[in-house]
Amino acid sequence: MTRTRRALGALLLILLLAWFLTPLLPLVLWAGAESWPGTSRLPQRWGLGNVTSVFASQGGAAVLRSLTLGTAVAALATPAGAVAARALALREVRWPRLAAGLLFAPVALPVFAMVMGLNVVLLRLHVPGFLGIVLVLVVAALPYTTFLMRAAYAAYDVAFEDEARTLGASPGAVRWRVRLPLLAPALVGAAFLAFLVGWSDYIVTLLLGGGRYVTLPILVASAASGTGNEPTVAALSLVAIAAPAVLLIVAGLLSRRLTPKRRRTAERTGPALSSPLLVEGAA
Amino acid sequence: MAAPVLAVLLVVVTGLGATALQSLGLMPLTGAPRLSFAAYADEHGELLTATGLSLLIAAGSTALAAAVGLASAVAAMSSPRARRMLTGLVAATVPVPHLVGAASVGLLLADGGLLSRWLGASPETWPSLVAGRWPTAVVLEYAWKESAFIALVVTATLATRLADYHETAALLGAGPWARLRHVTLPLAAPALGFASAITFVYTLGSYEVAWLLGPAYPEPLPVMAYRLFTSTDLAARPEAMALAMTTTALAGAAALAALALVRRTAPWR
Repeated sequence: MTRTRRALGALLLILLLAWFLTPLLPLVLWAGAESWPGTSRLPQRWGLGNVTSVFASQGGAAVLRSLTLGTAVAALATPAGAVAARALALREVRWPRLAAGLLFAPVALPVFAMVMGLNVVLLRLHVPGFLGIVLVLVVAALPYTTFLMRAAYAAYDVAFEDEARTLGASPGAVRWRVRLPLLAPALVGAAFLAFLVGWSDYIVTLLLGGGRYVTLPILVASAASGTGNEPTVAALSLVAIAAPAVLLIVAGLLSRRLTPKRRRTAERTGPALSSPLLVEGAA
Repeated sequence: MAAPVLAVLLVVVTGLGATALQSLGLMPLTGAPRLSFAAYADEHGELLTATGLSLLIAAGSTALAAAVGLASAVAAMSSPRARRMLTGLVAATVPVPHLVGAASVGLLLADGGLLSRWLGASPETWPSLVAGRWPTAVVLEYAWKESAFIALVVTATLATRLADYHETAALLGAGPWARLRHVTLPLAAPALGFASAITFVYTLGSYEVAWLLGPAYPEPLPVMAYRLFTSTDLAARPEAMALAMTTTALAGAAALAALALVRRTAPWR
């Protein structure tokens, strides 16, 4: 009885391992393939040529553009989410349900539908393409940053701020030396999610950039929609995965360092990034 | 607080407002505005076909993602080692952009792709999973990415509460199946519902996966909307907007229904 159960458990784990890893396998194989004829099961010659040629052509500039977009979205959506979450947590909002509903609307409603209408409005107002893209993506990232910061505020004790004030701390000192350090791990997580929204976006950049703002996803899409570009598609895709992966590791280390030691050992919670909404933005 | 709300108002309300106006002919690119419902008339039944396909993709992807996500969360609870392994897999999958996932699934499932090479299938015998009649590759890509998201949410919920309940149930004589049915599943249900709802509305309104892995016809709502939006025929604009509004209405209805169902489980009220 227990033996069959253990065998079933092991089988389930193997199936899940295959389910999550198989879809990424072609990327690794194709990106490293210098030569792979259709009749053979594995590449005949391996090398890093595909990946290096990404940066040799227009890929380098596209990576830079995607980094700029991700950073801009993170820089704006993180503090905005923190401010919104604080107002919701401390019940400083007149109509909390309405405000929360509005802030979460970008997750529930299709962003492409908003952008199609907004396109004409932004054109008539002469808003530059890049600014429009950043604005829409910040709004698309807000639900995630707000959710994460709202969860952080649920575990945050405002009494620390009162105490500091009683001891004579100025509002600035309270903000930078009490609130910021206590919320830092969550802020890092929120910034990572917001970065992902900007880094991974395709449709908003396409609709508002009008083909002039060539980011990494735009290159991936144009390579993937053609035929016979397997090595290019795989190399571009690997680069698109690599940047968030590096950031994830950095963010993990950073939020671990930023979490006060005492709390870390006491709670044994994972880094801020293991929060449920780590996501979609990925959407 | 004012700035974030204003930004959302600007994008969501102005954007959807302008989309609605254009779908009704009230904000034409050229000429005088005139109220018309022609864009919604759907004379050739294309709007209906696209709606059906969109719902099929969203429902299929969500069902598969929920099943795998739940299985993954339950498996993660079985032992610390299983949990570490699955947490790593999920953390590796979640940040992959959907577009990259679609590109990779294309390389895996297309004829001449990795799987057909490994199975030694000839292009004639290989089923058309990519760009075929049924959106197989589209559903598989969504299910793959979203199952990681659902696993993340459900594991986080179960991890905080399961151990105590399990111990109690075991002491009261519950076997593994009884524990799964009467303890684990009810505990997981609210989080599972919440994550599935997000998956459903996301897959309903998402463009790039279906565009890359789906056939030229039939198209789901967002793909058809984008094609008409970028068409050189400016008369197609209102139709594109009508498709966008249909998608919005479906997503909004699904979100409201889900909200009503999982209201009690929201992290705040």
